[in-house]
Amino acid sequence: MNRFLSKDFLSGVMFIAFGLTALYFGRNLAVGTTVRMGPGYVPHMLSYIMLVLGLIIAVLALYNGGDTVEAPKWKPITMVTIGIIAFGLLLETTGMFPALVALVFIASLGGDEFKLWEVLGNIVVLTFLCILVFKVGLSMNIAVINGVW
Amino acid sequence: MDMLHNLTLGFSVALSFQNLLYALVGCMVGTLIGVLPGIGPVATIAMLLPITFHLPPTAALIMLAGIYYGAQYGGSTTSILVNLPGEASSVVTCIDGYQMARKGRAGAALTISALGSFFAGTVGTIIIVLFAEPLTQMAQKFGPADYCSLMALGLVAAIVLANGSVLKAIAMVFLGLLFGLVGTDVNTGAQRFTFDIPELSDGIDFAPIAMGLFGIAEIVVNLEKKMSRSGAIKVTSLWPTREETRRSIPAVLRGTILGAILGVLPGGGPTLGAFSAYTLEKKISKRPQEFGKGAVEGVAAPESANNAAAQTSFIPMLTLGIPSNAVMALMVGAMIIQGIQPGPEVMTKKPDLFWGMIASMWIGNLMLVIINLPMIGMWVKLLTVPYRFLSPAILLFCAIGAYSLQNSTFHVQQVAMFGVLGYIFVRLGCEGAPFLLGLVLGPQMEEYFRRAMLLSRGDPMVFLQRPISLGLLITTTVLLILMALPNLRKAREEAFQEEEG
Repeated sequence: MNRFLSKDFLSGVMFIAFGLTALYFGRNLAVGTTVRMGPGYVPHMLSYIMLVLGLIIAVLALYNGGDTVEAPKWKPITMVTIGIIAFGLLLETTGMFPALVALVFIASLGGDEFKLWEVLGNIVVLTFLCILVFKVGLSMNIAVINGVW
Repeated sequence: MDMLHNLTLGFSVALSFQNLLYALVGCMVGTLIGVLPGIGPVATIAMLLPITFHLPPTAALIMLAGIYYGAQYGGSTTSILVNLPGEASSVVTCIDGYQMARKGRAGAALTISALGSFFAGTVGTIIIVLFAEPLTQMAQKFGPADYCSLMALGLVAAIVLANGSVLKAIAMVFLGLLFGLVGTDVNTGAQRFTFDIPELSDGIDFAPIAMGLFGIAEIVVNLEKKMSRSGAIKVTSLWPTREETRRSIPAVLRGTILGAILGVLPGGGPTLGAFSAYTLEKKISKRPQEFGKGAVEGVAAPESANNAAAQTSFIPMLTLGIPSNAVMALMVGAMIIQGIQPGPEVMTKKPDLFWGMIASMWIGNLMLVIINLPMIGMWVKLLTVPYRFLSPAILLFCAIGAYSLQNSTFHVQQVAMFGVLGYIFVRLGCEGAPFLLGLVLGPQMEEYFRRAMLLSRGDPMVFLQRPISLGLLITTTVLLILMALPNLRKAREEAFQEEEG
C-alpha cells in the first residue's frame, strides 16, 4: 500500500496547501497589534494554524498508514461540473431554455444509463416546470430564449 | 401570563394562510426527500436557500424547519417498507421496522412511528417554549469575550460528534473560519482574499457554498453508486394491536426524553438521538432476543427520539444564535440572507417571527401525521422514480436558484467550484459539517475576538477573568481532553462504526 495515497496524508497536504495559499494572498494585509488588530491578524493566525494542523495530519498519516483513497470515478463529477458551468455561461447569453437543455443533457451523460428518449422527456417536463415556477410563480427576470420570450 | 401571550401571538402568526401554506410545502418537501433515499435534509435545505430569499422571513424559516422535521417522518416510511434508510436518522428503524413489515405488521409500524414522532414533536415544541425565554435572558448578559468562548465551545462540540478523525474535523473548522474571512474587513475596509473580483467583496455567499458542498457533492456521490431498488411491502391495516400499543408507549416516552436531551447538545441531533434510543431500549428490554426480529420498541423509541431531537436542536440556534448541527448552520445562513442576525435579540426584536416559527412546528407535526398516514400509498409510488430522472432536475433547480440570488451567473460558477471542492472533501473523508459551522460562525467570532481584545487592551487573560467565559472555556477544554483519552476515543469510534454498519 502506498502511504502517500492515504486519505489522511492527502487531507494533510490539502490543509497545508490552503494555509500556504492564504498566507501568500494575505501577505499584504496589515497584522497590527493585539490591541488594535489589523485586517491581517486573524487571517495570519488561521493560516499558521492550518499549516501546523496539516503538517501533523500528514506526518501522522505517514506513520500510521490508514485508508487508501478510493480511485475517483471521473465521469459523474466531470459531467456534473461541466453541466453547471455550461448553464452559467448560457443563461444570460442565450436564455433559460438553451441553458437548461445543455445542463440536463450533459448531466445525464454522467449517469450510468443514458437513454435519449428519457432525457428528451425529462427536458420537456423540466422546461415546463421551470417556466411555471420561476417565470410565472416567482416572476424572475430571465428570458426563456433571448430575444424571443 | 407571558407564555400564554407569546403562544397566542405565535399561533396567530402561524395560522395565517400564507404561513400555513409554507408550513405545508415544507412538510411535503421534507416527507418527499425523507422518503427518497440518497437525498437528505442538509442537501435539500442548502439547495432551497436561494428560493427562501424571495419569501418573507417568517414564511422562509417555517418552510425550512418543516423540511427538517418532515424528513424525519418520511425517512421512517422507506426504512420500514423497503429496508433502505430514507435518512441517516432512520438507519436503526430499518432493523426492526422492516422485520415487522415482513411479518405483515407494516401498517402498525408506520402508525406507531408517526404517532410516536408526533408525540415527541409536541414535547419538543413545549420544551422550546419553556426554555427559550430563560436562555435568551441569560444570553443577553454575555459580553464579547463570553460569546467568543461560547462559539469555541460550539465548534469543539461539533468536532467531538463529527464522524472520523478528530484532527481532520478540527482542521475543517479552521478551514471554514478561513473561508468566512473572504470579503471586506468590517473594521478597516481592507479587501481580504477577494482577488479583485467585485462579487467577492461582500464575502463568499453562503448559499453557493452550501449548495456546492452538500447538494452537488451528494448528487455526484449518488451517481457513482448503483442504486438498487427493491419492491416495497404492501400496507394492509394501519392499526396496531393492543399488545403493540402497550409495549410502545413507554418506549416512546423514553425515546422522547433521550432524544430531547441529545438534541440540545451542540453537535447532537436526530441521528445521535435515534441510535442512543435504540441502544437503550435493547439494554433495558425484558425481551432483548426480539430485537432485530421485529420488536415494536425498536421502531417506537428511535423514531420518537429522532423527532424530539430535531425539535430541541432549534434551542441553541434560536436563543444563542449558535448552530448545533449542519441543518441549524443552514438555518442561520437563511436568517442572515434575510437580514436577521441570529442571537438572543431575535426573540425581543422579532417576537412574531420567533414565536410564529415555534407554533408552526407543532402545526407542522400535526400536518405530517396526516400527510404520512392516509397518503402513504402516494409516497411509496415515488420510490419507483429512477434516480437518473431526479439528479438532472435537482441540479437544474440548484443552478437556477443560485442565479436568482443576485441575478448573477457568478454564483452559478461558484456552485460548480464548491461542488468540486465538496467532492474532494468526500473522497478524502473530511466532514462538511464542521466546515459549515466554522464558515457560519467565522465572521462573528472574529468580530467578538477583536472587540474583546480591544476592550481588554490586548490582554488575552480577559477570556479567563470573566466567569461565564471561563466556565465555557473549561467545558471546552474538558471536552478536548476527553477526546484525547484512549478509552473514550475507542468508545467514540465504536459508536460511529455501529452507525455506519
